[in-house]
Amino acid sequence: MSTLTLGVIVILYMFAIAWLGYIGYKQTKSASDYLLGGSKTNSVIMALSYGATFISASAIVGFGGVSATFGMGLQWLCMLNMLMGVIVAFIFFGRRTRKLGVQHGARTFAQLLGLHYKSRAIQIFIAAIIFIGMPLYAAVVMKGGAVFIAQIFKIDVDLALLIFTLIVAAYVITGGLKGVMYTDAMQAIIMFLCMLFMLFWFYYSMGLGFTEANEELTNIAHLVPERLKALGHQGWTAMPVTGSAQWYTLVTSLIMGVGIGCLAQPQLVVRFMTVDSSKQLNRGVLIGCLFIFVTVGSIYHIGPLSNLFFLKTEGVVASEITADIDKIIPIFIDKAMPGWFGAIFMLCILSASMSTLSAQFHTMGGAFGSDVFPKLGRKRDPNSTIGVRLGVLCSILVSYVICYTLSDSIIARGTALFMGVCAATFLPAYFCTLYWKGVTRQGALASLFVGALASLFAMTFLHKAEAAPIGLCKAIFGKDVLIDVYPWFAIDPILFALPLSVLTIIIVCFATSKTTNR
Amino acid sequence: MFGIENPGIWISYLLSFVCVAFAFWFGITRWNKEDKNHDDTKNTEK
Repeated sequence: MSTLTLGVIVILYMFAIAWLGYIGYKQTKSASDYLLGGSKTNSVIMALSYGATFISASAIVGFGGVSATFGMGLQWLCMLNMLMGVIVAFIFFGRRTRKLGVQHGARTFAQLLGLHYKSRAIQIFIAAIIFIGMPLYAAVVMKGGAVFIAQIFKIDVDLALLIFTLIVAAYVITGGLKGVMYTDAMQAIIMFLCMLFMLFWFYYSMGLGFTEANEELTNIAHLVPERLKALGHQGWTAMPVTGSAQWYTLVTSLIMGVGIGCLAQPQLVVRFMTVDSSKQLNRGVLIGCLFIFVTVGSIYHIGPLSNLFFLKTEGVVASEITADIDKIIPIFIDKAMPGWFGAIFMLCILSASMSTLSAQFHTMGGAFGSDVFPKLGRKRDPNSTIGVRLGVLCSILVSYVICYTLSDSIIARGTALFMGVCAATFLPAYFCTLYWKGVTRQGALASLFVGALASLFAMTFLHKAEAAPIGLCKAIFGKDVLIDVYPWFAIDPILFALPLSVLTIIIVCFATSKTTNR
Repeated sequence: MFGIENPGIWISYLLSFVCVAFAFWFGITRWNKEDKNHDDTKNTEK
């Protein structure tokens, strides 16, 4: 496809984004509109926005590359994304969150818990975790989008990153949550249609059926590279050897970290507070699940099957095409799909990245301008959104800088890392807020602290994948991790931090239940 | 099942289909149903 055609498609897409951002801007009159979209969002828009925020370029480019390398075991994550990320999230968390949000007049996740416990400390702590931790996740998403744009347009990654960041910044800062959700909905439809097409085109071009392709993939298990076999790889249609390094990465980091972590994502929780009744959430279960099934299910399925394509056309399997896992899917799209689809798929990746990024920037901006500095820019006008917009700008700059420090093959791991930290830090306190009348302010605060500190400690001193690059453990103790006996250094931090956080909230709540107001 | 021998994989596919089926059933049967327990904070004009 010519550069001119590509350019025209992208310009049309940008016009659509700008128009939706403008509608959001015109409909935003107050801080509440900017942070919660007026709380009367249509169920379809809310569910599509939820799905598009949930599924980033990390899921498509990063996790897609992981599935191409390690196989179909990642389908467990697709299942958990639907079960935990939509069914459990909407039915068991969403309805109570919406009700509690209305009761307290909360506009952010931090406010929801902070106002519930009448604790400024809780509000600020949550906001700080969001503002400090989320830029890493945002940077990972930015990298996913920029790598793909650079691959398709054959331009420098740095230039792709700059253009991409400026566009997202423009409509998030001006349009608020309405602008974000309207653009999310459009982007979700593009993602849905693209992934559906990709699925059908693969089978059509390869001349295979569903069962037939799976069988062929099983038959080439002997082609798994030796370096992957050493990690526990048994073929693309088999789970890794139980207890192997690959098994721990797949099960504890990718499947559990993301599968459970998605329940306590502040940018997703806020979506529940944008609708005016539980009816909208009931509808959202259907729309959200179908969206996840098609988008995530397709890429986690096609990823492993791309080995058949690469074997047929290049004579090697996907992991031998490039050393960088994050580049496998872009290369696959470039070579396997029709030329015109490359441009359309680029919009899909752009959409996936922009929808997640916009929600992240908006959430970080809310944490900065509404939770930590609520009086910023509101001396004259209490409805001013200057503080939040300033927060959005700061978060964009921080994420942009972090993006330059990221190493190769970081996309999937970085996503799992942030979601794991969210699960360990927020989930016990959030769950107990909704379901346990015996929870106390001290218990919630202690759980938040322990979850965050335990995650940080495990990342710095226990989990080799993070501890080795950080290097603090080596500097102090002379070795990469404190416990260098397998499998301890391969277990994801969530498995240490989440149980500790749960235990803390239970113990402290029982210890303080008679001495404190709830 | 599905041309996949390893139960660790085909069970994940099977459960994914079950999740989608449940979501369809839940969404369609409750499309216009409001849960009063969770909507009692709304305006009384209803």
